[in-house]
Amino acid sequence: MKNRLKVLRAERDWTQADLAEKLEVSRQTINAIEKGKYDPSLPLAFKVARLFEMPIEAIFEDETEVAIN
Amino acid sequence: MKIIEAICAKGLPKRDLKNANRVNLCALLWALTLMISTYLSENELLGNGLLITLVFCIHTIIGIAMLVAYRHFLVQLDEMERKVQLDALALSVGVAIISFSSYSILENSAIVPPLKAAYLIVLITLTYIVGIIKGRISYR
Repeated sequence: MKNRLKVLRAERDWTQADLAEKLEVSRQTINAIEKGKYDPSLPLAFKVARLFEMPIEAIFEDETEVAIN
Repeated sequence: MKIIEAICAKGLPKRDLKNANRVNLCALLWALTLMISTYLSENELLGNGLLITLVFCIHTIIGIAMLVAYRHFLVQLDEMERKVQLDALALSVGVAIISFSSYSILENSAIVPPLKAAYLIVLITLTYIVGIIKGRISYR
């Protein structure tokens, strides 16, 4: 699953460790999500959306849906 | 370098490391009580029924404490690391079942000696460790 996490984080001058602390996960998890190696759970995705004050769809992109369209 | 980082679980929050250490301590005590009871049994020092009951109870209680500590560790764990742990558990159970099943065919045909439970435990443990290292490397 593609996402804009890295861009949004950089816009706020946050490090991966900063974001990890805010989301209460490990830095490795943030790194894996940004690289698209790990898809976050729905509760974590909602937490990310709340933190950036954006809808989930504006942060995470379902690649299957993109392929269908 | 990646393998060492994976083995050391580098980057996990302090809470998770504390919970993992609690599980490791329980596992160590559990293995220790098993070794002591085996030693006492082999040297015929467990003749007393009360002593057998005591050794049995201590080993079982530590085993249950280990399970409870592991469950607590999993519940509080960072979600990606939890996935790594569950994948490793699934792999170790799958490998154990398939190995046991295949070995039993050879055992029934008297090609190999009867399977010792200790070998199965070692196989499960090793597969679990390999699964965790593989999982941690693949997400880095």
